[in-house]
Amino acid sequence: MKRSVCAIAAALAFTLAAGATAGCSPSKPEAKKSGGTYTSVFANHAIDPQSPINPFAGKGNSFTGYNVTPLGIRKNHLTDHNQHYPAIAESWQVSPDGSEITIKLQPNAKWSDGTPVTAEDIKTSAAVAFTQGGSIFAITPGSTGALGEVTIVDEKTVKFTQAPGARNNTFLFSVLAMNVLAKSVWGPQLPADFWDKVKKGAGSDDAAKAARDEITALGKRLITFGPAKDVSAGPFVLESVNASEAILTKNPHFYNADKIGPEKVRLKNYSGNEQIWNYLIAGELDGAPFTATPTNVVEQILKVPGSKKITGLSQVSAALVFNQKYAPFDKVEVRQALAYLIDRSEVQKIGAPDSGKPSEHTHGLIEDAAKAWIGDAEVSKLNPYNPDKAKAEALLKQAGLTKAADGKWMLPNGQPFTFKLQVPNGFSDWVAAGKNVANQLTNAGIAVEATTSADYAVYQKEIAEGKYAAGFWLIALGPSTYNAYARLYGGANGWSAFGGKLAHKPAGEGGNWMGGAETANVAGLGTLNPGELTYQLSQLPVDQAKDTIVKLAKYTNDQLPGIQMWNYVNVKFVNTTRYENFPPDNCECLRETDGVWMQLGYIQPKK
Amino acid sequence: MSNNVRRRFWRGVWAALKRRPSRIAGLVIVLLFTFMAIAGSWFYPDRLPYDVDNIYAPISWKHPLSTDFEGVDVLALVITGTRGVLLVAAAAGLVTMFVGTAAGLYAGYRRGAPDSVLMRIADFVLTVPGFPLLIVLTTAIDVGTWWKMALVLGLIGWGGLARAVRSQTLSLRERGFIEAARGLGLPTRHIVVKQLLPNIAPYIATNLLLAVTAYIYAQVGLYFLGVLPLDTSNWGVMLNAAVFQSGALISPDALPYLLAPLGAILLLTLGVVLIVDALEEIFNPRLRER
Amino acid sequence: MNSFLWRLAGHLTRGLAMVWVVTTFTFFLIRLMPGDPVQIQYERLIAQGMSPDQAESATAITYGFLPDGPVWQQYLDYLSGLLVLDLGVSVESQGIPVADRVFGAMPWTVILVLSGILISFLIGVGLGVVAALRRSSFVGHSLSIAGSLLHGVPPFVIGIVLAALFTRRWRWFPSGGVYNGDEVAPGFYADFMLNVAYHMVLPASAFALASYGGWLLAMRSSVASVLGDDFLLAAELRGLTSWMRFRYLARNAILPLFTVLAISFGLVFGGAIFIERIFNYPGLGMLLLSSIGARDYSMMSGSFLVITVAVIIANILADLFYSFIDPRVRRQT
Repeated sequence: MKRSVCAIAAALAFTLAAGATAGCSPSKPEAKKSGGTYTSVFANHAIDPQSPINPFAGKGNSFTGYNVTPLGIRKNHLTDHNQHYPAIAESWQVSPDGSEITIKLQPNAKWSDGTPVTAEDIKTSAAVAFTQGGSIFAITPGSTGALGEVTIVDEKTVKFTQAPGARNNTFLFSVLAMNVLAKSVWGPQLPADFWDKVKKGAGSDDAAKAARDEITALGKRLITFGPAKDVSAGPFVLESVNASEAILTKNPHFYNADKIGPEKVRLKNYSGNEQIWNYLIAGELDGAPFTATPTNVVEQILKVPGSKKITGLSQVSAALVFNQKYAPFDKVEVRQALAYLIDRSEVQKIGAPDSGKPSEHTHGLIEDAAKAWIGDAEVSKLNPYNPDKAKAEALLKQAGLTKAADGKWMLPNGQPFTFKLQVPNGFSDWVAAGKNVANQLTNAGIAVEATTSADYAVYQKEIAEGKYAAGFWLIALGPSTYNAYARLYGGANGWSAFGGKLAHKPAGEGGNWMGGAETANVAGLGTLNPGELTYQLSQLPVDQAKDTIVKLAKYTNDQLPGIQMWNYVNVKFVNTTRYENFPPDNCECLRETDGVWMQLGYIQPKK
Repeated sequence: MSNNVRRRFWRGVWAALKRRPSRIAGLVIVLLFTFMAIAGSWFYPDRLPYDVDNIYAPISWKHPLSTDFEGVDVLALVITGTRGVLLVAAAAGLVTMFVGTAAGLYAGYRRGAPDSVLMRIADFVLTVPGFPLLIVLTTAIDVGTWWKMALVLGLIGWGGLARAVRSQTLSLRERGFIEAARGLGLPTRHIVVKQLLPNIAPYIATNLLLAVTAYIYAQVGLYFLGVLPLDTSNWGVMLNAAVFQSGALISPDALPYLLAPLGAILLLTLGVVLIVDALEEIFNPRLRER
Repeated sequence: MNSFLWRLAGHLTRGLAMVWVVTTFTFFLIRLMPGDPVQIQYERLIAQGMSPDQAESATAITYGFLPDGPVWQQYLDYLSGLLVLDLGVSVESQGIPVADRVFGAMPWTVILVLSGILISFLIGVGLGVVAALRRSSFVGHSLSIAGSLLHGVPPFVIGIVLAALFTRRWRWFPSGGVYNGDEVAPGFYADFMLNVAYHMVLPASAFALASYGGWLLAMRSSVASVLGDDFLLAAELRGLTSWMRFRYLARNAILPLFTVLAISFGLVFGGAIFIERIFNYPGLGMLLLSSIGARDYSMMSGSFLVITVAVIIANILADLFYSFIDPRVRRQT
């Protein structure tokens, strides 16, 4: 993939970072100190010298983990999406009903200008988050689980209260994922009566709408705002940015400064995976973000002295998804037959040889997460759809198709069974995998052609408009199971929640391009509505979710709205020539940026 | 008269070609590519066979140019890719030829207001940076099908030909035989088709050959940058996959996959250059050796 | 002098007319474009784990940066903005003025293109004279063929080959960027300039290699045609020194090249897109490419417009220069 899977799918906490044309002084930077310069590539977004130092701006010069840091850093835990490493928040307490979170800040957390980080800063950060909307900061009348109030308990303690109404189990991680912003910088940008406006905006009358409009207008102004000089609570401060890199220096006031090894960080811009591979082979990088790397390049990278591969869990899968408006995909037998016809290990070998594992089952979760949630016993009861031509033929015949003398399958209406499999340009693993699936099915008598869209933008638009019969789609986004199943039984399949109510739109309307049945009968479970089950997952406490997940896994395995092709593996390359003590394989921190690793005490200069 | 011109022209071409063996080689190369474009895909099945256990295979008789990321023979990819490349370029060349010649002839023959209007338009087409425009166009209109691509390319590139044809027409117009034909009261159609065209034809031919080459590269370039859907067989698709996805610049395994389309482009360029060298000599006799 | 001003005025009028046509064309063209930047952002947020209603409110900010209102109103706003160099705001970068980014990227492309053209012009003209004077010899012939070949090879082929050889096989030059921000900070001092020059060597060489053949060929045929002219014969008969004759020759032969120069700017900017992509050089071409990927309409039309204006200005300058040094044109007008 052009953009790494991480950037698109992973790290819910990845808030985009910011910065400006800061520090363009015509003097040479001072000589390197003992910690040295750590060189990496920032994968979340392109580096743009014209952008402000603003974590909300699309290409802002705030780099997550380096010069902007959240309250807590989310672990990549298989089943519990509420597990975090402490960051600016030293500890937190959640009330029994989950509606109140009390956060204690690090006692010696300081900004890079030397002033302490206080509860006031956190309240300002929440206010700025409100102007940008999103997650719990959405001021939508009746929206579920939104943040209601921020109360300052004392200088280092702050309390977040959920708005009255339905519970949302994303509340904790949404609060902890909040970027910590300095009141000295952002406070003057907010009107004095800002919090009154937030309160007013939650209503449903005209005054509320006016208040919401005001906040949106403020948000539009704030997103282009950034201080001339970086004020950071993170381990680094932005020193300078040019079109090809950002240079950050260590923040001496960072609460955990003695843990931070490097004196400087150099984040390189990149325009494609090939560039990152080249930097790695040149030995220029100490760490690199995930890229879908072909085997021949992996071998080349590992030949470089000091080069090392760290692998870990990636909570995302690639799937072949059907638009069931196109006959004969409306027949479950046909979808099952295709699952029997496609050899997934061959697809993975072509598409994602080093950054994927063929999926063992289709259940809408990554294999490890499924096992952790519902247990090996339940998982092994699922149909693995191992390649089996005979079963596929039987199923196709059952669906009314016939096999012609030349081995080609004919639809009940006498037409040959052919379809186009769509993939976007630039996602090289999908393009290669799509071609392979097409080849496999063509050999089996179903003439499939893999076609590509000009780019991801066109792909997104056209897939949503229902123009493709089948295409590739990222599913199983973890760790929240709600997020994982919403990929299959959310807006794209007709279910959307508005104002705490779930509604289902028919195929072809309101973005429903998968066009699956609203309910289906699954042997042993009766008639299920997967959209409703998925919605329940957003409300259920984590420890009560298992039964729902079992139902959804079985439903997905039986109904196959898509065929899970491979589960991604998070592969990171590092170079140990200059630094040592990198995180181990399978570290829960693996999908965070290198800056977060440093906060956790990893990455120390070699003596 | 026109027959005479034509015969003289072909004899001149042959004489010029014969003068240097390299020019014959050029002709052979261009003919070879034309043959590959027409007949290349007859030698291969509709879908090239792939072999996942033979990715970037070492060079052998079976795979003289190695294999690609899914084990498809690279030589087969180059050969089957020729058709798409040349078809679009040739069709675009035809569009350019028609539009450019018509505009140039009309402007040069009519002069006056139509001339200045047409030449303003031609200047405009010449000035607007063609390739950036192409990129912008590809996002707004679907140029995935060959004839649309050809139309767009042809319409972007006719300015130069129109200018060349116009200036030739202007100078021919004052020559004795055209004056005489007009004096005799021959219809304009006759003068243009029988007198002017045969004399301008060589210039059109040279310009056309260069235009077609430019179109080949523009098209391959668009695929290389990845702004067009990559599902066709085209050298540009190979280049894109080799450089940006297979890491051919950094991994020796995938190098043949990069070098094959590069080599094809270089060879074709060489062929065209050698032929243009001959054509130039015919039309610019001062360059002829003394 | 008066005639010069007239000429300039004529150029400017035509140039402005072209800018207007191009602006209008791109303005309406991009409204045909498929792919909605808000949709892309929305989907990204969904992929990052937001629920649909949450993502919708988050993208509300971006909606604010999409132009709205009737199309003709947008069109008039855009045109009046152009008068004060306001190219609108970026959609993808949420509100960053397009002009900031375009003019931030432009200097790199202009330096690259100018140095590329200058090098190739000097080399091409010099070798062109040699090729014409010795056109019957092996040297002359191989010079011409090599020139034609390089002239014919598309710039991306040359770029790929140079990148493969000198940034990958032998790591003599950096594979991207304009300078190393870890070693130097921008300013007017030798180290910085050297660092910039070091990063520019390969892309500029790619330009030079891709275009010197054109100059060589043009100069060769120009010299060849001047060689047969009467005035040279007359000069020879008058017994002028060979140096004087060479000056006659060069001066008369080089003139037609300036008309070629004017046309070549468009091509060079086209080539810049490839060169910048291959060498990861953050200029206008890269900006255009990346804005297309993100469906950032305003950034795309802004960068295309600035490329076009640069080409038009270069054309006007080339023509004015031509009229200035060519006595015939000077007298004519």
